[in-house]
Amino acid sequence: MPDPTPKEVDLKQTYDAVVVGSGAAGGMAAHVLTSQGMKVLLLEAGKKLDIEKELKSLEWPYEHPRRGGLPPDSHALSRNEYTFRKPPYAKGLPNKHVYSYVEGWNGADYSKNIVVDEKDHPYTGTSYAWVRARCLGGKTNIWGRLALRLSDYDFKAASRDGFGEDWPISYADIAPYYDKVDLYLGIAGHKENLPYLPDSLFQRSTRLNPAEVQLREGLAKMDRVLTPYRAGVTTDGLKHNKYRSRCFGRGACDRRTGGCDIHAAFDSPTGLIYPAMDTGNLTLRTNSTVSEVLVDKNTGKARGVAFVDTQTGKSYEAKAKVVILGASTLESARLMLLSKSRFHPNGLGNSSGHVGHNFCEHIMGPSVTGIVKDLVGKPRTLDDGRPAGFYVARFRNLADKHPNFIRGYGFEGDSGTHMFPGHAAGTPGFGAAYKKRVRDEAGAFISMGAFGEVLARYENYVDIDPNVKDRWGIPVLRFHYQFGDNEKKMAADMADTAREMFEASGIEVIGVDREILTEGWSIHELGTARMGADPKKSVLNQFQQSHDVPNLLVVDGSSHVSASCQNPTWTIMALAWRSCDHLAEQMRKGEV
Amino acid sequence: MSTDLERRDLFKIAAGAAVAARLGVAQQAPRFFIPDEFSVIEELAEIIIPADDHSPGARAAGVTVYIDARLGESLEPEKKDAWRQGVQLVNQLSVTMNGQPFLKASPEQRTAVVERMAQNEAEPKSPEELFFRELKRATVHAYYTSKIGIHQEMEYKGNVLLNKFVGTELP
Repeated sequence: MPDPTPKEVDLKQTYDAVVVGSGAAGGMAAHVLTSQGMKVLLLEAGKKLDIEKELKSLEWPYEHPRRGGLPPDSHALSRNEYTFRKPPYAKGLPNKHVYSYVEGWNGADYSKNIVVDEKDHPYTGTSYAWVRARCLGGKTNIWGRLALRLSDYDFKAASRDGFGEDWPISYADIAPYYDKVDLYLGIAGHKENLPYLPDSLFQRSTRLNPAEVQLREGLAKMDRVLTPYRAGVTTDGLKHNKYRSRCFGRGACDRRTGGCDIHAAFDSPTGLIYPAMDTGNLTLRTNSTVSEVLVDKNTGKARGVAFVDTQTGKSYEAKAKVVILGASTLESARLMLLSKSRFHPNGLGNSSGHVGHNFCEHIMGPSVTGIVKDLVGKPRTLDDGRPAGFYVARFRNLADKHPNFIRGYGFEGDSGTHMFPGHAAGTPGFGAAYKKRVRDEAGAFISMGAFGEVLARYENYVDIDPNVKDRWGIPVLRFHYQFGDNEKKMAADMADTAREMFEASGIEVIGVDREILTEGWSIHELGTARMGADPKKSVLNQFQQSHDVPNLLVVDGSSHVSASCQNPTWTIMALAWRSCDHLAEQMRKGEV
Repeated sequence: MSTDLERRDLFKIAAGAAVAARLGVAQQAPRFFIPDEFSVIEELAEIIIPADDHSPGARAAGVTVYIDARLGESLEPEKKDAWRQGVQLVNQLSVTMNGQPFLKASPEQRTAVVERMAQNEAEPKSPEELFFRELKRATVHAYYTSKIGIHQEMEYKGNVLLNKFVGTELP
């Protein structure tokens, strides 16, 4: 289906809303508001890519000159570089292009135009593996697709264990919006009836392969739950969306950094933005990097945004009744901090001093790999062709209280044969016996890695670096962010329980990794403009509306009060839908 | 609408794959190695992943052609030096062990050289042990991403259009 024809951009017009960012959050805001008749201008910092030409997901490695790898003048940052050097990581490197670590994965050449070049987009401060995508759709073009709900174990976590703040909403408030997101975008999964990991309205689930079923059965005896990966992928198709196809199980999902060129996996352009353009109410301008939210001199209310055309370098202004930030957790915070004025000397919407603070995410690193001996030497099966493998739901600090740490963690993992035998380099020896062993053992391995809640602490924050600017002359973020004691103790437990669960399931453990990955590795940054009832301790109200500036909304992950341990994308979209519904109602009543 | 779209998507996908398949992989003269170096690496790679009754080995899969092309365009002088020195190390080791350079040694003698290089694979220390690790890494990558490696050796069944995922039903 060809992309819709874009509407002419008219910067003399005052739009009902200007939305900054076209990922999960901005895309959802554009969808909800345009479907209710609002005239919306959507600004995206990056370009619109011909994504099918980028991803080429059925191309075999040997059809690519570098087997999917980057050209020699490009460099992907390694785990060591993040550990032993400080940002800006691209500084002083001789390479023409420097990318974050995700471009070190297989198939990097297919996603190099989706992620940013670190040379153009520096940041400073403490170690942080910041992964950014600047193009239409942002990170939704390459996301991991794990689509999970939060529950009142998360929204009311502070009441349960005394740390931090409760969210200003409960599960009942957001559940109808999770349902809307499920139905509008499609999600594959298996019902488990867990109060701490609520089911979605699932389409056909992808299946588990034999090693995964063995682990599921082993965990069931421990009252722990392994469920097929809950994927933001339409497996049955979506009759209302002509831009997306159902999943054909082709197998390219294994390529990381991912991307689905038939759009069975959700991405913001085909899932949200193109249908919004078809309403006739959406104007899209790409290559538009917003540098400041503009405020009215007399009222202090938002009146629009200033932006730079990234191709010409020219500056422009766009006018709107409402400004909606969906630029990502860190970029939205950066914009608010950059938008200083007489009314807002600490940055826009920052009378609480909490913008940039309470920065949190998921801690990663601890993982386990095992081998199922019964599967060695078995005939080859087809185990790919699904978005990913499985998810192990949180089990810590639900009914019991762990003595060493609060909150919880889950695991993502998979088993089965892949296009490339990842175990080959680590299998010792050489020669005919080595070759046969690699062949026989392919498909017998199973592994999983943990994602744990990082506590939202005020002392973890970003601010504006007074000296360093990006390629467009916009001051950059400076990180002040480190894992704390709770995270480190949780990580130790992750490694212990990973081993325990494999052993209890009759899987021979061949390796346990206890090392914590650099801050930021999860690409789940959250919390820098949190919601709350108290304007002194929070930035936004429960409808993601600034306490200080009623016509400013921040609809991305920055609004989250805590990280929980579940992947955030589905929650970002459910919240944005709820807030924009509320905003449209307020605008109809003339309250905003 | 939906069925129609699926058909068109299928066609697009199939057409893309057909175009790609016609391109093939071009063989070319060495870009980085001199012929003797090329032959040493080719022989080493074949010892690591030999032809057997199941499938052809590293030589047939063009492993050294691929490694050579990557080194030829590499902008990392240290990496290039490491490979050039690696060939010298192998020849020196062969002279010490067998009294003659690697390519002049018998097949058994060559295997003995690789065995020596591989003896501390988990924790390589000497220069030749370190070179073995890099050599094996590159050989494994090139072989298992080749046509022979994916289709003949590993008999990979994926990257095809399926109507459903083939797996185990949840009990």
